[in-house]
Amino acid sequence: MAGGMGGAELGPSSSGKKKPLDTTINLVPFIDLMAVTISFLIMTAVWTQIGRLQVSSSGGPSDNPDDNDKTIPLTLLITDKELKLTAGTSTFDPIPVIRDAKGRIDLTRLQMRIKEVRTNLPEQAAITLQPEDNVRYEDLVRIIDECIGSGLPNVSVAAAIG
Amino acid sequence: MAIQVPGKRFGKRLQRSRVFGKGKLNAKRVMTADLLITPMVDMFVIIVLFLIANFSATGDVLNITKDIRLPEAVNVKDIELVPVVMISNEQVLVSGTVIGRVEDLSREDYLNIPALEEKLRDMKKQYEDLHALANEESGKFKGDVNIQGDKDIQYKILKRVMYSCMTAGYNNINFATQTASAPKTGEQQASVRGL
Repeated sequence: MAGGMGGAELGPSSSGKKKPLDTTINLVPFIDLMAVTISFLIMTAVWTQIGRLQVSSSGGPSDNPDDNDKTIPLTLLITDKELKLTAGTSTFDPIPVIRDAKGRIDLTRLQMRIKEVRTNLPEQAAITLQPEDNVRYEDLVRIIDECIGSGLPNVSVAAAIG
Repeated sequence: MAIQVPGKRFGKRLQRSRVFGKGKLNAKRVMTADLLITPMVDMFVIIVLFLIANFSATGDVLNITKDIRLPEAVNVKDIELVPVVMISNEQVLVSGTVIGRVEDLSREDYLNIPALEEKLRDMKKQYEDLHALANEESGKFKGDVNIQGDKDIQYKILKRVMYSCMTAGYNNINFATQTASAPKTGEQQASVRGL
């Protein structure tokens, strides 16, 4: 890359002498440009990647009346012991909260339940979460993330009643 | 015969010698060294490419502090520059202004936080006045707010903050999270292992 670049030699010129085509690239301005670019990029670099999870306040079925027969009110009650999913009038068995070594909730069973609901109701896109007061923010975020990842993008959060 | 610098003069045979030819007495060693430019330029190119790949045009939207450890999430959207409500384990802040202590707020039984509501209403009015002066159609108030909460806070506090935001007209609530890489499924893990 740096240093002398191999030059191609063309045929003999009219004078009969071979004209040397080897040229030396001046690397100093290139290195200067690189140094300035690196400094600028390091100064403006964002090292922590931050995103957002959008939640709404009111949940329930879609506002579109045509969708009412295709969707049902899907509610997930979150306590520190269990997760209780309710789809319309039917209630699934509560999922006990199991935590790993880092204290994170295992959401595999919830994921399977949501997939089950989505298989029966492919148009379903909304879910209402009802966390209790003592639920940790991290657990709530993980559950919202799981719901969005499982195909329920319209997540709304409401306070648990009772 | 050419004029030579006075001093020891070795014979022709010894001048060709590696030992005596270079290491003769009072000889000045050549002090210039060639700098290898090629690896340096290669390194520069790699660094520039890495930094450009990580470049974020939005910049730092949130003020990251050590008091607030954000939870991780995978299915996130890009964060936008909107008002931020920060909730640490100690206090609740809006745009750097302390609204109240979490300990005090968790003791109260009200659903809203009046100081937070008032502050957010002021910010909303300020935004609307500013955009009304500029006659901007695109600058219509959308009601977006980011909640930057510590992962250990309880929903009890979050509920009050969310309610206050909505009462003040900020209906589009966003939870700020740290972007985590998606966990690999069983099939992906197997393909990585070459199974």
